[in-house]
Amino acid sequence: MKISNLSALNAYKEKGLKKLKPRIPRIAVGMGTCGIGNGADKVYHCFKKILKNKKIKAYLSKTGCFGFCAKEPLVNIYLPHKPLIILHSVSTKDVPEIINCVKSGNLNKISKEKILCKIEKWDHLTEQIFYGRNFPEIPAWDKTPFFKSQKKIVLRNCGLINPEDIDEYIAAGGYQALYKVVKQALPHKVIQQLKASKLRGRGGAGFPTGRKWELTKQAKADQKFIICNADEGDPGAYMNRNEIESDPHSLLEGMLIGAYAMGATEGIIYVRAEYPLAIGRLKTAIAAARNYKILGENIFNSGFCFDVNIVEGAGAFVCGEETSLIASIEGFAGRPRPRPPFPSQKGLWTKPTNINNVETWFNIPVIIARGGKWFAKTGSASSTGTKVFSLVGKIQNTGLVELPLGTSLETIIYDIGGGSSLGKKIKAVQTGGPSGGCIPREFFSTAVDYESLARLGAIMGSGGMVAMDEDNCMVDVAQYFVEFTTSESCGKCVSCREGLYQALGIIKAVTKGQGKLKDIEELERLGLAIKDSSLCGLGQTGPNPVLTTLCYFQDEYKEHIYEQRCAAGICESLFLSPCENSCPLHMNIPAFIQLFREKRTEDAFWQIIQDNPLPGVTGRICHHPCESRCRRMDIDQAVGQREIHRYISDTIYKQNKDKLIFKTLRKKRQPETGKKIAVVGAGPAGLTAAFYLRRLGHKVTIYEAQAQAGGMLQLTIPAYRLPRILLKREIKNIAGLGIKFVFNKKIGVDIPLKKLEKQHDAVFIAIGAQKELILKLPGENLKGVLSGVAFLEKGGFSKTLMQDEKIVVIGGGNVAIDAARTALRSGAKAILIYRRQENDMPADKQEIEEAKKEGVVFEFLATPCKIIDNGKGQVQAVELVRMESGGFDVSGRRIPVPTDKTFRVSCDKVILAIGERVDSQIFKKNGLAQVKNNTLKVDKFTLKSSREKIYAGGDVLTGPATVAQAMADGKKAAKIIDLRFMRKGRFEKLFKAFKFKQIAPVEPQGKSRSLPRTLLVKDRVKNFKEVACGFSKAQMENETIRCLRCDVKGA
Amino acid sequence: MENKLVNIKVNGKKYKVAASSTILCACKGCGIDIPSLCYLEGVSSEAACSMCLVEVKGAKTLVRACVMNVSENMEIFTKTQRVNNARRINLELILANHPLDCASCDKDGDCRLQDLAGEFGIKKSRYFSRDKIFGKKQNTAWQANPFIHLDPDKCIQCGCCINSCKHEAVQEAISFSGRGYRQKVSTPFSVPLEQTNCQFCGVCVQVCPVGALVEKPRIGKGKLKDFISTDTICAYCGVGCNIILYKDIRNNLVMSKGIANKKINNRRLCVKGRFGYEYADSPDRLTTPLIKENGKFRKAAWKEALSYTARKLSKIKAKYGPDAIGVLGSSRCTNEDNYLIQKFARAVIQTNNVDNCARLCHSSTVAGLGKAFGAGAATNSISDIEDADVIFIIGSNMAETHPVIAQIVKEHKKNNNPKIIVCDPRYVQMAQVADIFIQQFPGTDVALLNGIMKLIIDKHLDNRKFINAHTQGVNEFKKVVNKYDLKKVSRTTGVQPCRIEAAADIIGQAKNMMIFFTMGITQHTTGVDNVLSIANLALLTGNIGRRGAGVMPLRGQANVQGSCDLGALPNVFPGYQKVQDPDVIKKFQDAWGVELSAKVGLPVSEFAEESIKGNLKAVYIMGENPLMTEADINKTRYAYKKLEFLAIQSIFLSETAQMADVIFPAASAYEKEGTFTNTDRTVQLLRPAKQMPKGAKFDWQIVSDLSTAMGYPMLYKNSTQIADEIAQLTPSYAGIHHYRLQKEGIQWPCIDDKHTGTLFLYKDAAFKKPNKKAQFSAISYKQANELPDKKYPFILTTGRILYHFHSGNETRRVKVLDKFVPRNYVEIHPEDARKLKLKHNEMANVSTRRGSIKLTVRISERPKKGVIFIPFHFKEAAANVLTNSALDPVSKIPEYKVCAACIKPLKKKRR
Repeated sequence: MKISNLSALNAYKEKGLKKLKPRIPRIAVGMGTCGIGNGADKVYHCFKKILKNKKIKAYLSKTGCFGFCAKEPLVNIYLPHKPLIILHSVSTKDVPEIINCVKSGNLNKISKEKILCKIEKWDHLTEQIFYGRNFPEIPAWDKTPFFKSQKKIVLRNCGLINPEDIDEYIAAGGYQALYKVVKQALPHKVIQQLKASKLRGRGGAGFPTGRKWELTKQAKADQKFIICNADEGDPGAYMNRNEIESDPHSLLEGMLIGAYAMGATEGIIYVRAEYPLAIGRLKTAIAAARNYKILGENIFNSGFCFDVNIVEGAGAFVCGEETSLIASIEGFAGRPRPRPPFPSQKGLWTKPTNINNVETWFNIPVIIARGGKWFAKTGSASSTGTKVFSLVGKIQNTGLVELPLGTSLETIIYDIGGGSSLGKKIKAVQTGGPSGGCIPREFFSTAVDYESLARLGAIMGSGGMVAMDEDNCMVDVAQYFVEFTTSESCGKCVSCREGLYQALGIIKAVTKGQGKLKDIEELERLGLAIKDSSLCGLGQTGPNPVLTTLCYFQDEYKEHIYEQRCAAGICESLFLSPCENSCPLHMNIPAFIQLFREKRTEDAFWQIIQDNPLPGVTGRICHHPCESRCRRMDIDQAVGQREIHRYISDTIYKQNKDKLIFKTLRKKRQPETGKKIAVVGAGPAGLTAAFYLRRLGHKVTIYEAQAQAGGMLQLTIPAYRLPRILLKREIKNIAGLGIKFVFNKKIGVDIPLKKLEKQHDAVFIAIGAQKELILKLPGENLKGVLSGVAFLEKGGFSKTLMQDEKIVVIGGGNVAIDAARTALRSGAKAILIYRRQENDMPADKQEIEEAKKEGVVFEFLATPCKIIDNGKGQVQAVELVRMESGGFDVSGRRIPVPTDKTFRVSCDKVILAIGERVDSQIFKKNGLAQVKNNTLKVDKFTLKSSREKIYAGGDVLTGPATVAQAMADGKKAAKIIDLRFMRKGRFEKLFKAFKFKQIAPVEPQGKSRSLPRTLLVKDRVKNFKEVACGFSKAQMENETIRCLRCDVKGA
Repeated sequence: MENKLVNIKVNGKKYKVAASSTILCACKGCGIDIPSLCYLEGVSSEAACSMCLVEVKGAKTLVRACVMNVSENMEIFTKTQRVNNARRINLELILANHPLDCASCDKDGDCRLQDLAGEFGIKKSRYFSRDKIFGKKQNTAWQANPFIHLDPDKCIQCGCCINSCKHEAVQEAISFSGRGYRQKVSTPFSVPLEQTNCQFCGVCVQVCPVGALVEKPRIGKGKLKDFISTDTICAYCGVGCNIILYKDIRNNLVMSKGIANKKINNRRLCVKGRFGYEYADSPDRLTTPLIKENGKFRKAAWKEALSYTARKLSKIKAKYGPDAIGVLGSSRCTNEDNYLIQKFARAVIQTNNVDNCARLCHSSTVAGLGKAFGAGAATNSISDIEDADVIFIIGSNMAETHPVIAQIVKEHKKNNNPKIIVCDPRYVQMAQVADIFIQQFPGTDVALLNGIMKLIIDKHLDNRKFINAHTQGVNEFKKVVNKYDLKKVSRTTGVQPCRIEAAADIIGQAKNMMIFFTMGITQHTTGVDNVLSIANLALLTGNIGRRGAGVMPLRGQANVQGSCDLGALPNVFPGYQKVQDPDVIKKFQDAWGVELSAKVGLPVSEFAEESIKGNLKAVYIMGENPLMTEADINKTRYAYKKLEFLAIQSIFLSETAQMADVIFPAASAYEKEGTFTNTDRTVQLLRPAKQMPKGAKFDWQIVSDLSTAMGYPMLYKNSTQIADEIAQLTPSYAGIHHYRLQKEGIQWPCIDDKHTGTLFLYKDAAFKKPNKKAQFSAISYKQANELPDKKYPFILTTGRILYHFHSGNETRRVKVLDKFVPRNYVEIHPEDARKLKLKHNEMANVSTRRGSIKLTVRISERPKKGVIFIPFHFKEAAANVLTNSALDPVSKIPEYKVCAACIKPLKKKRR
C-alpha cells in the first residue's frame, strides 16, 4: 500500500478519479454536521435502500459540506459526461423522484425548486476536473447569487469529494504538492513561496505565516513540533469544523509540507472534543495516510519522517490562544504564558513549535501547487487570498462562504446573504466572535481585511459573521459576549478575570433598567484598561463587543439607562410585551385586548385612551410596529392589533360613550398648578402633549397656523383613509378638557417666539415638517406642476383636476400614494414614478396594494430629469432617466444609479411628492440650534432644545415620520415639562390600572388572522368613502383570542 | 551572555542594564520602583496581578515588566497617565473583592495590597464586590491542619503561593481550580491539605502578599510592626537556613521567615524552621541550676552549683586521673561553645575524652572521607547542585531530614532535568522524582556500590585519566570489586539487576555527579566501609574537585560540622589537628598554657561500656541527651547510673538531665550569639532573636565559669573573643571572624582575613594527602552485626521524620508539630502486616534482643518487605530501646540502621 514514487501516486489518482467520475451515476450526499442535522443521513440511507431494492447501478457516496447551510441537505448527482448537478433541501420524500430521474438520465426533470446549480468544470486548484456540458436551463454554480462572488481556495474540495476516501483526495490533485516539495524543493524554497504568497494566519491575528515558519525553522533544537489549532470556540463560527469534516487530507498535506519546511517531526491537531464528526474523519484520514505511508517514517522514500496525533480539547475557549493551547497539550490547565519566549522559540515541551489555524494549513498545498505569486493575486494588497466566513444571524442565506479578502461587507450581507431574513433592516454585523466587534450599517462598504476591521474596533477573528437586525438589542449583544468571555476567562490576569466580571455586572444592570449615568463612561474606562493590561488575546480583545457597541450604538445604552427602554424588545425586564415595547406610545395592548375579551369595552377604551388620545385616528393610519413584533408571527401571522384598537374605539363612538369618559377625565384632572404652557402646532404631537399637560393641571394654549386643528392628519391624509368626522370628534374630545386654541397664528410670523416664551412657563414646539422638497428640475415652474401636500390639502374638497387627465406622481412615500389615489378619485389617470424598486418604497405596503388595485400605474427605477413644456407654459410630458440598482446605502437599500437611457411619459399634470422638510426659518431667527440646518436640535431624552423653556417633538425633530412617533413625543414632552415644575410621580397618576385575568393560553387560540373588509374598488374609486371597514364582531372575537398574552410573566 | 549590557531609556533617562534582566529588575536596579503583587524574585512570575504594567514604545498594549526582558534601545515609561490608569483600575478591581478589615487583619502593615492602596489613595473600590463564591466547603481543605490558615475572601489570586509551591518547595500541593472569576486556590480535588503532598514548609505563607495565608500559630499575636526581627540561622538540621525570627513584646517568638540567601535556602524553610521555634518559650525551660540531693533536685544558686561541680570533678580527676572523666560537646551548640568545651576537657580536665553527637551520625564520614580524600567534610556547596547533571542519593531521606536541600534538588530536576538516582531501603519521597529508584536491603550498600562500580569498569565508563593522574590503590580496589557480579549483587541487595545496570550507565556517563548520603550510609558497623565505597565511586568516575561534582554528606544538626571542626572529638584539636602530633600538642600547650594529653580519648559511644567497666567515673555534658540518642538505651541508662558524677548544661529537664547530679540552665540556639558551620562548610553568624530566660546562661559562659572555678581562669567577655581565639589556632578558620560574617557566611577553609572562603574542596584534584593523590580502598561487603532470624524475623531500621527532631525535646514542645504527629509509629509493608494480622492505626509491640516498645502500626508501601521502620523522636516509645549498640571498628558509630526485630499486634485489653 505504500506510495513511494510519483507513478504510484498517479495510480491512486486514477483510482480516485474513477470514484469521482464513475461510469455509472454517482450520487453524493452532503454529510457535514449541518447536513446531518438537517437529515442528510436519512436521505443517504433512503438512497441506499431504494438503489438496492430497485437494483439500480449507481455509486452512492458521502461528501462534506458545500457551504450553503440554509439549503441543507445538499445532494450532488453526476451522470457520466454530464455536469454535476447540485440539489438542495432534499428530503427522503424527494429521493424516489431523484432516483427515477437519475435512472432515466433526465436530471432536468427534477423539480426546479430542488435544483441549486450545476458544475461543468471544477478547479480544485491542485487539479481540474471536467464533468461535462449540458442542461442549459440550470444555472452554473458561479452564476447563482450565493456563489457568484465567492472564490473557493480553502474550500476547493469541500462538498465535492468524499472526506473519508483518500483516493478521491488524491484524484483532486491531493498530495502532489507534498510530493513536489519533498522530492524537489528545499525547505527554504517552501518558505520563499509562502512569503511570496503573503499569506497571513487565519486564526485571527493575521501574523505573516511565512515569517512565522521561518522563525521556527531558524530555531535550533533536537526536536520541533507543529500544531494545528482546531479549537474553534467562537459562538457562531464553524468554518474549521466544516473544513476538517469535508476535507481532512488538505489539512494533513498542509501540515506535512509545513513539517518538511520547518524540520518538525511531530504534528499535533488540537481539536475541540465537541467536534466528534471532525475528529472521526480526521482519524480516518490519518489512518489512511499512514496506510499509504504518506504519514510516518521515510515518506515517499525521501527520508522525511513525520506523524500526526490528535489531542482533544476539553472545551476551554482560552485554549485557542497558542500558549494556553500548549499548556493544555502538556497536561496543565489552559492558562496563557507570557510571551516572549514565543512558541517558535520555546513552545511545546520547551521545543520550538509552530502553531497555525486549520484554515492556514488548508492554504498551503495550493500555494505550493500554484505558487505564492498566483496566490497573492487574490485579495487585497496587504491581505492576500481568501477567507472563509460563517455567515449566520438574521440573513436569508446562512452558510459557509469563501471570499477574496477585501470584499465589502455589503457584498457579504446583501449579495451573498440575501439581506435580512425577516424583511427588517440589518443593523450591524458582528465579526470575530467574542473578541470581535459590532460593525454598524454605516460601515458596510468597508472592505473586509485585517487592517480595516481593526480600524473599526473589530477583528477578523476566525471568521464568524453574525448579522443583526433591528430586533437585536446591542446592549444585549454586548452582554452575551461579555458573559461568554467572563466565563471563559482563565482567571489569570486581574483585568480580565475581575474586569470582565465587573463589566458584565454593569451591563446586566443596564439591561435591567438599573443603569446609572456614569455607567457608559465606566464601561469605556474599564474596557480600555482590560484591553491594555491583559496578557493574552482573550483579555486584550474581550471588551471589543462592549467598546464597539458603545462607540456605534451608544444611544441604545442611553435609552436603556435614561428611559429604561429596550427598543429591540430583548431586555425582558424593561417591557411588558413586545407589542407594548414597540409601540411608540407604549400602549398596553394585551390589557385592552383582554379587557375587551372580558366584555369590558369601556374599560378597554379607557385603557386605550389613557395612552393614546387619538384612538380612532391611530386605529386607522398607525404604521403598527406592534404587529411587526407580535410573537404570534412565530405561529401564523401577527394579531391585528391596530384593527382591534380601532374596533374598540369605534364601538365606543358608536355608543356615544366617549363624551362621558372624557367628562370623567376632565373631572379627575389634577388641581390647577397655575403654570402656563404654550403648544405650537395642533398636530398629533401638539394635541397629545396638550391632552396630558391639561390633565396634569397646567393651563395649555395651542397656537396653530391653520384654521383648524389636526395638522398633517387634517391637511394631507385623504378622507378615504381617515374620515374627517372622526378626526374632529377626537380633537373635540381633547379640546373639551379645557384647552385653549389660537388658530391662524403662525409663530414667528404672527406671534414672535420670544413673546410666547415670555408669556409661558414652557413652550412645546410641534410644528411638523411641512415644507415640500423640490427637485430643482428644469420645468418645475410650469403650470400643472404641483406639490404633493398642496395637492392633497385641496384634493379632498375641490376639483382641481379634470376628468381623464393624466397625472404623473413622483415619489415613493405615503404622500405620493395618497396623491395618486386622490387623483384617481378625482377622475384622473395616475402614474407613479419611483426611482428605486418596489421593495424599497417607504410607503405602507398595504396602501401600495390598494393603489394597484384601484388602477394606479407604477413605474419603478426611473427618475425625472426634465419637465417638458407644451409651448404654452403648461406641462406636456416628463422626461425620465432609467435607473439601475447600484451599491447599498446605509438603509440597506440599493442606491439607484442613473443610466444613459431616457424616455418620456406624456401627462397633463405632475405632482412632486418626494418628501417634506421642516420649515426651519423660525429656528434661525430665534437662534435655536439645528441639526444640519434642518430639523431642530433637542436632547434626545429630554426633548429640550438649546433654549431653556423650549421643548419640541414630532416631525420637527425627525423630518416626516409617523403619527404614533409624533404622539409619543407629545406624551414624553408632557411628562418632562411637568417634571420641570412639579415633583416626580405625578404623570404616572394619570394612568388607571385595570385588573384583568393574568392567564396566558396554554395552546395558541383562534384561527389565522382575520382581514378586515374593504370597499370594493368600484364602490370606492370615484369617491372619498372610507376604504377599510374594520372588523366584524366575529372577526373581532377571533382576533382577540389569538393574542398570546406575552405580558403574563412568571407562572 | 549574562553580562552583556544593553542601553535602555526609562522615563526619558538613559541607563545601561544587563541584557538578561526583566524590565522590572532593570528598573529596580536603576532605582525606579515598579509595583507588583505577584512577582516572586528568582521564581518565574505568574504575571497575573497586572500591577507592574509599563508602557514600552512600539508595544500595542501595556507590557508586564515582570516577564518582559529588556532589549537594546528599549524605551520604557513607568509613570504615564495610561500606566497609572491601568494600574489603578486593576488595583480597584482587586480591592473590590478584598475585605477592608485591615484593623483586624494579622497582616496589617505587612500587606503589599494595603501599601499599594495607600500609594494610590484608594479608600474604597468603585466596583461592586462579587458574591462570595467560596463557601465553607473551600475552607475545609485548609482548616484541619495546625500550620497554615487560608482566608479565601482575602485571596487576590496572584498565584504567589502556587508558584512558590511549584518552583521553590517543588511540591505542587496547591493549585488553582476553577476558571475565571470562579478561580480559587485549592488542593487537588479539594482534599484537605494534609492529604496532599504538602510538607507545610510554609513558603506559600511567606510569599503571600496579603493576609490570605497566615501561619496559624501567629494568628492573634499581633502585627508585624509590633514585632522585633532578628536575622539568624535555623537551629535544626545542618542546611543552615538563614531565617528572620520575630519576637513580640513579651519576648516570645511568634514568626519566622526564610531569608533569600541564594547560596543556602533562598527563602525556603521546612516545617520545623517555619513553625518549630516555640520550644524556646516553653514553660519547661530551666531557669535555675539544680543539684540532686537524695535523688531529688533542689534549686541552687549559680555560685553554689559551679563550685559544687568544680569540687566534684576535681576530686574525681585527682582520685582516678583525668581520663576517668568524659566530656560531651554538642552539635546544637555554637562553634564557640564547642571550642570552649573541648578546651575545658583538654586544658582543665586534661583529657582527650571529649566528643559530640557527630560520633553518632557522621563519624564514619569523617573517618572514611578523611582516609580517601584527606578531609571529612562535604566537598561542594549547596549552590553547586544546579551544576550537577547526575544526582546520586544513597541512604538519605533528604526530603525529611534536609527538606530544603531536597527542594533545591527537586527544583533543579524541574528546571534542568538532571538524572536522579535514589538508593534507599524505603520508598522515600525523593524516589518520586528519581529516574531510578533502588530499594536495597538495609546494610547491603557496599555490595550495591561495588556492583555498580564493577559494571562501570566493565563498560569502560571509568575515568582512567583521572584515576591515573590523581589516585592510588586502584588495582587492589578493582580486584575486590571484580568479584561483585550483577547476579550476586542482585541477590544480596534484593534489587532487580536492570535497575543496577541502569544506574551504572547513568553514573558512568555523568558529566558532573554529586553524591548525597546521610545516616543510611554511616550508621552501620560497616559505616566507614560504606563511606569508602562512596569515595571509590567518586574517584572511579572522577566526580570530585569541580563545581557540581563531589561527595555531600548531609549533616544532621545545625552545627555537626562545626563541633567537629572545633575539636570536640577525642582524637583531634580544632581544625582536625591530631592529638598525637607533637607539633600540634606544642602549639596548643603554648596557646593554653597547660600541659596536654597526647592520648586519643574515648568516643561517646564507648562511654557506656567504659562506665560499666568502671573506667569512666564522671561525665560532663553540654546540651546533649545520650539517654535518648545512644543505641540500646537500657544499657546506656545502666551505665550512666553507675557514674559517680554526671553534670549537664541543658535547656530542658531531658531524659539525661533527669539522671544528672547537677544541671545548669543554658540558653537555646535562638538566644545565642556565635557561629554555626553548616553542611557545606559555611560558617554563619547566629544572633539572639530573644532574651534567654532569667537565670539561664550561655553555654560558653557556664564552661568559662566552671573552668575558672576549677582554677583555670577563662575570662571571655563574649563569643566574638572566643571566635578570634579559634581563628588563631585553627588554620581552616583562620580568616573567620564575626565581623566578616555580618552579611553572609564564609565557607572554610578560609586561610586569612582576606580569603573569601572555599566553594568546593580539592580544586584541580589536589587532595589533602601525601603526594596529593586520593586513596582507593578495597572494600568487601560485610553483613550487618545482627541479622534477622526466626525469632526476630524483621530488619528494623530507624530514622528521622520531617515533623520532629532527634530526641524530641524541642519539637515535642512545639504545639503545632506535636499536634500533627503526636505519637510514635512503626511502618510495615502491607504484605507483612497481613501475615501478622496487623491493622493500620492499631497498637503493636516491637521487640529486639534489647527491649521492646509499644506503638502504632502504620501500613505503608514505603519499607521493603521484611523491613520495618521506626522514628526515634518519641520518648514514650523510644526506638533506641531496640537498637543495637555494636560499633563500627573505626568510627565507633553504633549500628542504628540494622537490627533484628519482631513485631506483634498488641491485644486490646478487655474491659
